[in-house]
Amino acid sequence: MEFLEFEGKTTEEAIQHACEYYQVSPEKLEIEIVTVGSPGIFGLGSRKARVRVTRREEAEPDLKSLGQELLEKFLEKMGECGKVSGHQEDDRLYLSIDTEEAGLLIGKQGQTLEALQYLLTKMLVKKSRRKVRLAIDIESYRARHQQNLSQLALRYGEKVKKSGRPVTLNPMNPHDRRIIHLTLQDDKDLKTMSRGEGLYKKVVIYPARKKELQGANPGLA
Amino acid sequence: MKDLIKFIAQALVDYPDQVQVKEVEGEQTSVIELKVAKEDLGKVIGKQGRTARAMRTILSAASTKIRKRAVLEIIE
Repeated sequence: MEFLEFEGKTTEEAIQHACEYYQVSPEKLEIEIVTVGSPGIFGLGSRKARVRVTRREEAEPDLKSLGQELLEKFLEKMGECGKVSGHQEDDRLYLSIDTEEAGLLIGKQGQTLEALQYLLTKMLVKKSRRKVRLAIDIESYRARHQQNLSQLALRYGEKVKKSGRPVTLNPMNPHDRRIIHLTLQDDKDLKTMSRGEGLYKKVVIYPARKKELQGANPGLA
Repeated sequence: MKDLIKFIAQALVDYPDQVQVKEVEGEQTSVIELKVAKEDLGKVIGKQGRTARAMRTILSAASTKIRKRAVLEIIE
């Protein structure tokens, strides 16, 4: 374990410096007082207080192991056994569940997986006091799901082009809508837009008019 | 089931020690009553009930396994 020393006029001040350094509250730190400071007289014989400090074990901000641990416990409470593996990429944490009952945990249209991810994100935010971006996956359901969605988008895109009429898709959550929008964003003949209120909106795919394409926003093209 | 809800709720609130969960068991359906500190009520319900809905989804998935039905009620 790594110890660092901090100085201050008093022990309190030294501890405060340590807290500022680690950006945590004092109770999260293991503190050992090396010397108690004394103010001295007229600045003579004054001694600085020194403390040795290290982070407490549980305060370690390792999001990955925290997330893994929490999710495993979560599954256990649900009466499931599953192994959780994870990796971190920039500020995103990816957790993957290895279980025999994937279907149950994914749920209808990924509902259960969605709920699990949402709740775990909240828990992690609460525990780590940071912004957490988390994605949970089971048997690469997410990748498959994403592929299905873009195929759906392309299929309906073709339909719109043929018929020249807009098509409205089923209500989807923001993540799924994003996939639809992204899949079709490069298609100059189509436009997409989300309709509705709240979390679940419908995506409308409609043909871009020729006039709009040539005229209006050259800057956006 | 009771443990599950307690585990989730306690991880979300500011006052975990004030989380109370009661399970009223019926023949097929059991009702899980969740009670939290007044200040924490919003946290277990969430924006437009999203957290509450997520907890219910998890609960029904977990209870399918033991072939029962469970309903979550959040009590003020």
